[in-house]
Amino acid sequence: MSAPNCLRCLVRPSAGIPVASVPRARAPLANLAPITAARSAPFSTTAANAKAKASSQKEAASARGGKKLQLGKFKKKDRTADKGRPPLPGERKAYRKRITLSNDNAIPVPWLTDLGPTDLAASENVAKVKSLPEELQDQLRASEAFKPTQRWGMFRKPAVLVRKETVDLANQMQDSANKKQMLRLVVTGDKVAGKSMMVLQAMAHAFLNDWIVIHLPEAQDLTTACTEYAPIPGTDPVQYMQPVYVLKLIQALRRANEKVLSKTYTTQAHPQLPQNIGANTPLLTLANLAKEPDNAWAVFQALWNELTAKGANRPPVLLSLDGLAHAMRLSDYRSPAFELIHSHDLSLLRLFANTLGGGVQFPGGGAVVAATSRNNAPRAPSMELALAQREAEQRLRAANNNNNSAPGDIEVPQKDPFFRGYDERVEAVLRSVQVLRVGGLDKLEARALMEYWAASGMLRATVDERTVTEKWALAGNGVVGEMERASLMTMRV
Amino acid sequence: MPPRLNIWSACRALSLRTRAFAQGPPPAAPALLARRGLADNTTSRSLDSNNSSALPPSMLPGSSQPPAYTSKENEEALNQLKMIEYGLNPLDPSVEGHKFGLPELPLPSQKHAKHRYDSVVSQVTRLLMQDGKLAKAQRDMAIILNYLRTSPPPRLDPSRPLLPGAPPAHHLPLDPALYLALAIDSVAPLVKLRGFKGLAGGGKSLEVPVPLRARQRRRMAFMWILDVVRKKKSKGSGRTMFPHRVAEEIVAVVEGRSSVWDKRTQVHKLGTANRANLTHQGVKGMI
Repeated sequence: MSAPNCLRCLVRPSAGIPVASVPRARAPLANLAPITAARSAPFSTTAANAKAKASSQKEAASARGGKKLQLGKFKKKDRTADKGRPPLPGERKAYRKRITLSNDNAIPVPWLTDLGPTDLAASENVAKVKSLPEELQDQLRASEAFKPTQRWGMFRKPAVLVRKETVDLANQMQDSANKKQMLRLVVTGDKVAGKSMMVLQAMAHAFLNDWIVIHLPEAQDLTTACTEYAPIPGTDPVQYMQPVYVLKLIQALRRANEKVLSKTYTTQAHPQLPQNIGANTPLLTLANLAKEPDNAWAVFQALWNELTAKGANRPPVLLSLDGLAHAMRLSDYRSPAFELIHSHDLSLLRLFANTLGGGVQFPGGGAVVAATSRNNAPRAPSMELALAQREAEQRLRAANNNNNSAPGDIEVPQKDPFFRGYDERVEAVLRSVQVLRVGGLDKLEARALMEYWAASGMLRATVDERTVTEKWALAGNGVVGEMERASLMTMRV
Repeated sequence: MPPRLNIWSACRALSLRTRAFAQGPPPAAPALLARRGLADNTTSRSLDSNNSSALPPSMLPGSSQPPAYTSKENEEALNQLKMIEYGLNPLDPSVEGHKFGLPELPLPSQKHAKHRYDSVVSQVTRLLMQDGKLAKAQRDMAIILNYLRTSPPPRLDPSRPLLPGAPPAHHLPLDPALYLALAIDSVAPLVKLRGFKGLAGGGKSLEVPVPLRARQRRRMAFMWILDVVRKKKSKGSGRTMFPHRVAEEIVAVVEGRSSVWDKRTQVHKLGTANRANLTHQGVKGMI
């Protein structure tokens, strides 16, 4: 005979406890203890949690150090790493992202010549490989134009292939600088087609011709909530500054453009800065004021005002950015109301977007160049649509100018009326930009590049029509990154 | 004995007639043909007579008439006949009937899909492979080879001699496959110890040194290298770190810093110590 209640512990049998499976009289007390504890105060979990934690700690402490039961047939191998100094925070990433610009094992190429100021705009240089002079290397490195995914580290010195698109871009830049206008251009194209390299070549052209270059190496650094941000007081709608990033940007700007900035002078006084900066001070001095994040934004604003001052005598300015899709969406930052902040409300990107949209005019003219990315790009439907539209419009215009092809078969893509994800601010910015599509190399360019690789000793093959065509075809009709993969990054070297 | 009757002899008979068609100076042959063709045709004869010049039109300067037989196949056939006349074989199988010609035989090993990589490289790649992911192993191998060719030339250690006949150290980075093969072959053991159960008495096994084939030696050496690599800590992060560690270890092997050399010495020592076991009664004839 069993009593309705357990006589030892006085717990009522309920659905929570599997009473039927265990003979009540023999149910071990230890099993029941936590249950009683949990039941004692159903609306407070604190005591129970504390107790559970304490008991688990006690178990861990009293784990036996002796013989353990080996269940598997095979022993686990002891793979203890050698004990050394653990890497500091950020050290491993720095090792991954380090950029090497030369390889002393590579054979120096005798016919390689340095880039001159007019070389990138000269059409006779198409399909030639040119090396970057030392000073330019330092400037590009300071402004972070080189990327770890590019294969600079395989050759004796950094060199670039001059392509048709390069000459086109450099000529457009030069034209706009001569007319003191702004070239507003977006570089787009397939994966590893050389979009970032096109931006690098634009920067090289600018540096060689004494322009001022402001380069934002990755738009994602600004919008993925990785750097500090703060609202700017007195702005409506509220804008946000990113002081740490801006400080880094000013320092890079100063290092890369030292020569030009020291020859350019301020036109107005800047009493809002703590240091008294009067008119006719070199811009370099102004840039030097940014020593800590606190005043970085104020200094940047002063610099920007100087660069855009109307009627001043200024060199042309190149403003460039890589990874445009990140700058054309809602950022990952939150406002105090916990709403996502639009990228164009981050003040630095706002300046960039204004310039790209045509709202800012530099007195000496210049260019704003943005490159899209295909690997690391969030979905930005408005941007994709706008770029496709601009490209179709350009083709239409070209067809009308030539009068030789039927423009009827070129259709400008339209918005999907049933899709809600479009962004008006992005559309406004990209309403009148130019689009430069970077495609595959042609055979002549491919051959020039492969001859350079072979002369450097990195491609151990005869470069003839057959090899060039083979690699060109393997690389999806000359996509340059794929050509590298097919001929430099193989097991067959 | 009658002459052999085959198609070639027939062709040789034909050749007398084709001599006129042969591609000598271009205008001559068509002129002949045109004249002969025109002889049957009255209308063209009148045309010919109307012509003020006595020469046929094709021989006149400036007028280039296409020859009557300008079909590609016809021309080819005529060429073949001409070759037969000179005693050559016109139907050379390496030229005829193939759009791109025949490949040269024997095929170079790199043309074979399964042997397109260097033999050491492909063996080692498969040893690097985990979970059957060959493509990943191949990418890793490419990274290893690239590391070898961008790292400075190794400083050789005279106390750890590499294979005799190895190229000088500064040649190695530009031929990374050779670099890898040299490192592996230099630390590869010559023998392994094989245990014969119960022969040593008291249930102990008798260790007998047995020689290894080249492929086995390479496998053993690379597995030792991998053992060391797996216990190493990587300097950076990301997917290139494992191949970087392997490459660093290979450089260490060539420079004589690696602990793999000790393993090799140890195996060789044991082999030398146990070589007397080769004459054991139970072992004789088994190896």
